[in-house]
Amino acid sequence: MPANFLPTSAEYIRVLPEIILTVMGTLILLLEAALPDRQKWIFAPLSLAGLVAALLGALAAYSDPGTAFQNMIVVDGFATFFRVLVIGVALLAVLSSSDYLRREGSMGGEFYALLLWSTAGQSIMASAEELIMIFIGLEISSIASYVLAGYLRDDKRNNESALKYFLLGSFATAFLLYGIAWIYGVTGTTNLVDIRRALLNANEPLAFVSTAAALMFVGFAFKISAAPFQSWAPDVYQGAPAPVAAFLTVGPKGAAFAILLRVFFTAFGPIASTWAPLLWAVSLATMTVGNFAAILQSDIKRLLGYSSIAHAGYVLVAVTAHSGAGSAAAMFYLAAYAFTNIGAFAVVTYFSRKGERFTKVDDFAGLAQRQPVMAAMLTIFLLSLIGVPLTGGFFGKFYIFKAALDANLVWLTVLGLLNSAVAAYYYLRILVVMYFREPGEAVEHLPPAGPALKAAVYGSALGTLVLGIFPGWVLEFASKAALR
Amino acid sequence: MTLLDTVLFLPLVGFFLLLLVPKDNPNASRMGALLISVVAFAASLGLIAPYWFAAPAGWHFATNVPWISYPPIRYHVALDGLSLWLVLLSTLLTPIAVLVSWKHIDKRVKEYYALLILLEFGLIGVFVALDLFLFYVFWEVSLVPMYFLIGIWGHERRIYAAVKFFLYTMAGSVLMLAAIIYLYNKSGTFDYSDILMQIQSGRLIFDARVQLLLFLAFFGAFAIKVPLFPLHTWLPDAHVEAPTAGSVMLASVMLKMGTYGLMRYCLPLFPDASRNSAPWVAGLAIVGIIYGALVALVQPNMKKLVAYSSVSHLGFVVLGIFSFTQQGFDGAVYQMLNHGVSTGALFMLVGYMYERRHSLEIAAYGGVATPAPNLAAVFLITTLASIGLPLLNNFVGEYLVLQGTAQANFTWVVFAALGVILSACYMLWLYQRAFYGRAAEPVSHRMFDLTPREWAAILPLLALMVWMGTFTQSFLPPISAQNAQILQQTQPVGKVALNAR
Amino acid sequence: MLLWLIPLFPLAGFGLNGLFGRRLSKAAINAIAVGSVLLSFLWVVKTLSALGIFNGGLLEPYREHYYTWIQSGAFNISVDFAIDRLTAVWLGIITGVGLLIHIYAVGYMAHEGGYYRFFSYMNLFMFFMLVLVLGANFLLMFVGWEGVGLCSYLLIGFYFLEKFATDAGNKAFIVNRIGDFGFALAIFLIGVHFGTLDFDRVFAAVKAMPVETQAGWITAAGLLLLVGATGKSAQIPLYVWLPDAMAGPTPVSALIHAATMVTAGVYMVARSAQIYLHSALALDVVAVIGIATAFFSATIGLAQNDIKKVFAYSTVSQLGYMFVGLGVGAFSAGVFHVMTHAFFKALLFLGAGSVIHALSGEQDLQKMGGLARKVPITCITLFCAGVAIAGIPPFSGFFSKDAILAAAYERAPWIYWVGVLTAGLTAFYVFRALFLCFFGDYRGKPPEHHGSHDHGHGHGGIHESPAVMLIPLVILAALSLGGGFINVPKFLEPMFGEPHEGEPWLMYVSVAAGAAGILFAALFYLVSPALADAFVRVFRGPYRWVYNKYFVDELYDVTVVSPVVDGSRQVLWRVGDVRIVDGAVNGVGAVARATGSLLRLAQSGYIRNYAAWVVAGSILAIVFMEWRGGLR
Repeated sequence: MPANFLPTSAEYIRVLPEIILTVMGTLILLLEAALPDRQKWIFAPLSLAGLVAALLGALAAYSDPGTAFQNMIVVDGFATFFRVLVIGVALLAVLSSSDYLRREGSMGGEFYALLLWSTAGQSIMASAEELIMIFIGLEISSIASYVLAGYLRDDKRNNESALKYFLLGSFATAFLLYGIAWIYGVTGTTNLVDIRRALLNANEPLAFVSTAAALMFVGFAFKISAAPFQSWAPDVYQGAPAPVAAFLTVGPKGAAFAILLRVFFTAFGPIASTWAPLLWAVSLATMTVGNFAAILQSDIKRLLGYSSIAHAGYVLVAVTAHSGAGSAAAMFYLAAYAFTNIGAFAVVTYFSRKGERFTKVDDFAGLAQRQPVMAAMLTIFLLSLIGVPLTGGFFGKFYIFKAALDANLVWLTVLGLLNSAVAAYYYLRILVVMYFREPGEAVEHLPPAGPALKAAVYGSALGTLVLGIFPGWVLEFASKAALR
Repeated sequence: MTLLDTVLFLPLVGFFLLLLVPKDNPNASRMGALLISVVAFAASLGLIAPYWFAAPAGWHFATNVPWISYPPIRYHVALDGLSLWLVLLSTLLTPIAVLVSWKHIDKRVKEYYALLILLEFGLIGVFVALDLFLFYVFWEVSLVPMYFLIGIWGHERRIYAAVKFFLYTMAGSVLMLAAIIYLYNKSGTFDYSDILMQIQSGRLIFDARVQLLLFLAFFGAFAIKVPLFPLHTWLPDAHVEAPTAGSVMLASVMLKMGTYGLMRYCLPLFPDASRNSAPWVAGLAIVGIIYGALVALVQPNMKKLVAYSSVSHLGFVVLGIFSFTQQGFDGAVYQMLNHGVSTGALFMLVGYMYERRHSLEIAAYGGVATPAPNLAAVFLITTLASIGLPLLNNFVGEYLVLQGTAQANFTWVVFAALGVILSACYMLWLYQRAFYGRAAEPVSHRMFDLTPREWAAILPLLALMVWMGTFTQSFLPPISAQNAQILQQTQPVGKVALNAR
Repeated sequence: MLLWLIPLFPLAGFGLNGLFGRRLSKAAINAIAVGSVLLSFLWVVKTLSALGIFNGGLLEPYREHYYTWIQSGAFNISVDFAIDRLTAVWLGIITGVGLLIHIYAVGYMAHEGGYYRFFSYMNLFMFFMLVLVLGANFLLMFVGWEGVGLCSYLLIGFYFLEKFATDAGNKAFIVNRIGDFGFALAIFLIGVHFGTLDFDRVFAAVKAMPVETQAGWITAAGLLLLVGATGKSAQIPLYVWLPDAMAGPTPVSALIHAATMVTAGVYMVARSAQIYLHSALALDVVAVIGIATAFFSATIGLAQNDIKKVFAYSTVSQLGYMFVGLGVGAFSAGVFHVMTHAFFKALLFLGAGSVIHALSGEQDLQKMGGLARKVPITCITLFCAGVAIAGIPPFSGFFSKDAILAAAYERAPWIYWVGVLTAGLTAFYVFRALFLCFFGDYRGKPPEHHGSHDHGHGHGGIHESPAVMLIPLVILAALSLGGGFINVPKFLEPMFGEPHEGEPWLMYVSVAAGAAGILFAALFYLVSPALADAFVRVFRGPYRWVYNKYFVDELYDVTVVSPVVDGSRQVLWRVGDVRIVDGAVNGVGAVARATGSLLRLAQSGYIRNYAAWVVAGSILAIVFMEWRGGLR
């Protein structure tokens, strides 16, 4: 057998983050068994350390870009961007969960372990350049998330949420797998670059290829909760623990977008003309469904769930543009959305209190008078979700629709922008109750927020504002790293 | 760091300072806000310097530094004859707004004044931004504080009004954003003067259809803000529900964002589309003039009445703009300022009355002139100003607008001038019902006369009404010079270019 | 020459009394108010003599430039004052008669509340009236024009506790606004065609143009100006505000609604003579409206019982005369009548005021009578005014009326005959009023000794007015009798050319008509009052119409006012704005919410449904892809 079957050390460096995350996750699980309860507070700092290490690992890996393991893994700017993104998300998620877990009285280490493993899976997705690898990453991340969604095993809503997520998720992944099989049958390879090459020669029957693409798209579309595959999202996000929901709306979603971009830009780039119309329709449908369904929601978690559908729609607009600018815009948007949404959910986590009693929009009545700072933070996040200037959300939309107009998607742009105006309505409703209503019993005697949660909230707010005032920093890297 | 930057950022700094003020010390917030706004106003007076001896067209106090590298968005602000007085109007009315809120606002005082000052920042920004993107940013930023001002400190239906205001404006501005991005994609820059230069030189050419769509995208956003009939229905709600200072800022300055945008962006950037649209826009403006006046005539609520009168008055401004004549332009811009002064004063006075009688219904008053003669006298002068009595400010503006329109199309004037009759009807009827007659008991013992603080707030505006009406030339030259340039820019160059292709 | 001082004095008076009046003593207020007018009068005299007015000077207008008011593009409007002989006449009337009335008012208003307010308004009026006649361009004229309208509004509504007073004020202002609408349009038209509003340049330009044989835009300008004039000078169809305007204090009626402001329309037409001379049509319209108004309102005057209303309609009628003069091209005659009318009509009102003052506010002729002995001086002066207005030679009214009628006969005999008839009617109703007031037996209730009524003159029984009121009466009486010898037409010759010399018989006829009027009045109201009642009974129908002023106010209410107000409330606001326009806006929101609830139906919560969605979606995806891209 040829020598190059033995991985070189450089190749291990290139998967450093995954290694660190997996090891740390396992370690925590072992300690969970070993440590007495009163020392379990250690897990949070431990996983934080692990994530920070993974972050550094990702940067270290980027210091020497290239492929690894027979081109299954590629470390490029794109991969690194998403690695940093998902790890950063995990960091914020850990910060915002520690209070929650203490509050719900189950500080089990498995939570952190699962979180880290899920992150590892996402990080693989970010850097995979080969369909099997992609599938593995997706499954790692998904299975971990399924469990997380049902983390409180005594909580009915958690269980329902987990079950739905699991059944439908695996159902959808089947489509993906089927699509992979098709494309392998057609092109005889699962490596994205080779597929691209094969398609460029264009001697395969286009009908088969596009079917394969469609099937795989279904898989991805489910993960990013694109219409008409979005129906699970609201139930799951509402049912899952608030910090988990925060994590699910950005982490796995971000990674899923990474592979969507990777596959459709790299592998299916040559047949863009065949899938662009589909994405056009899907993105429009997703935005519209998400926004209009959100208008009537009274539960803030569910509302944010629908809004996350709508935002997936915006990102799909960027994908539809199928250009470097589009890819960069999508990346930027996901980053901005990550900060914004984690922050919003963190405030909800804090506010909903034990057993998540207070998750109705009306419960937030008068928050601004009792907790002006928290209210201000939530305001920043909501304005960013609306897309008001000087927030990351605004620049995200701006770049996306700019890319769309570049690609002459005029109508998609106009409809998308009008959508964002509609969206303003239901975000404003939250502002209304927070500021314009007199305090209700829900806002009385709020416990002070713990340091970790504070860190999560302020960190997210800071990120949102920085991306809104100096977007150049992130965007430049994104546009360098963008796929074309 | 030019003087203009100072004037622009003083309020922002002030905003953060006011956030630091302890919550339990409202007077500190009041004094702080007053101090900041007064300083900002004093500083803004320096902006007149370049226009002191001459009336040069073109930019002054320009600052142009990169903000965001890609796409190239620059912090580019400058002042010209068009924006000069609007900036001063904003800086003048903010301290006045602080004064009128002094007693009126007693809950969540700290946030109130912080937002008021933040609003000033946004408003000034809109008038001085020369980067389309920056302009849009300020446009939206000015929206948020007003939303909270109405929503938190407003009256009964404040929530409905605030949300309506926000969504209506938002709906308009997203399309403008699309147009801005489109312009960038074609021209490769957000810089206003750069894009304008490209269009003037014929390097950047849109075929008629595209130009019309772009024009409409901008026009929509501005027409909603003006507000132009039939996009006006957010205004009465917003005004009635807003606190006094909110109404003042809204009527005096915010509405001008729309008319300013029309002159600054719509006309020069899309000259052909603008000229081709002139007939129906003028038509809407005239309908607005008469319609607004007639509806104002029958309002039982004082604030609603003044709000509808604004629809009527702003109709004159739009009419003047779309007359495409020097007089029309000059009149329009001058009328922006006039309306700012006189309608602002009207809302203040209505606010004064509300603070005493706690009602906005005209029927709740009557005979106020007996217990409060000074209030009555001031209200009368303001009324006369707003119905365009000569030697007071509005007369000059309305005259120039109509004279200019007459040159464009005499029939328009015949209808528009009806508004002048009607304005007398609804204002004098209001005055008669509110101030004349015998004072009923609740009026006679509640309607005490103007306090020193109220005098301080209203006097500058009274002085301006007379000054602007009699010594017009101390304001008009910069405007006139700039308008001459704009008029020259709106000469249909595009047509030539199109034929050339 | 400092022409600006002329209006400045009253303005200063307004400022002082307006700002500090409440804290000043009556004496101080009087000093300021009357003094300012006196100064301005003296300054007029000095200026005019300096301009050589008394020795054939001032053939060319004298002009002063102060500052540029509005400069927009090529369009320049500056604050310039100018004096020519036409202006000179008005300056004399305004400041002279104005001064007398101010003095009179010191006595008349002595017991009124808001003393300082009254005088500051009066001074403000003087200021605007002087600007109106001094202004050297149309816009300045418009400034004065609107300004006097404002003061009229304020003074009519002076008793602002009374609804009828403030209603009358609003009516006056708004009806005048309708007129000003025409005036403004005329200004725009002139501005568009000449690029300037300056009198000299505009009229020079018009002079150079050919006379319009068929209606062109000069005619349009003339007619639009006339609309303005009909408003301010209370001509058909806009005269309706003037009778109500009598709600104001009597000195106001005398100064504003008889002597000065209402003649502004005449001034405007005379000033714009060039325009009218270039449009036969416009000129004819002026004449027809004039004569119609003169006759029409004279008939109304026959049946009024409120002494001020009688004189008010007579004012409308006399203004009609002036317009006839202008309309038949005898501008100087018209202006002449302005002056004489200023004398005798001011006198009539002040005299009436003196009577009302004596009767503690009573204005109803039916409640007067036999006052000749109680208030002899007032009585005598009023009869002087009577003979003057009746056109009995050699008193002032005779000369001006004769000049107008002579010119009218030349232009169109029918106008002359209607004019003569009107002269007769005028003489009749004026003397009817005087007889009812001064002769026969006192018909009123014995005047209460501490009167308590809205005008607050309650003090003592029927008494002659104080000297401060009588002196103006006497002076005006002298002017009414002798004023006709001030030969205005001759004076204005350089501007309007030779006055017409009518044949003598025309004069005899008109004088006869006047005399007849007086005799009939005497017959009806002195000799046998029963005759009058019989007369009324016979002509009940026409009488009812006349007595109710032909129901014109009611007509306007039904055709204009109510439709506008109700239409605006019921249709425009309640339906148009709230339902349709705003309904559409809220409708958008409703649609959005409806869509939302529709989408929620898809959210059953059952996994099987969701799975079904996934399957359906994937099939759709494949099909769509094949259809849009795949199989071409």
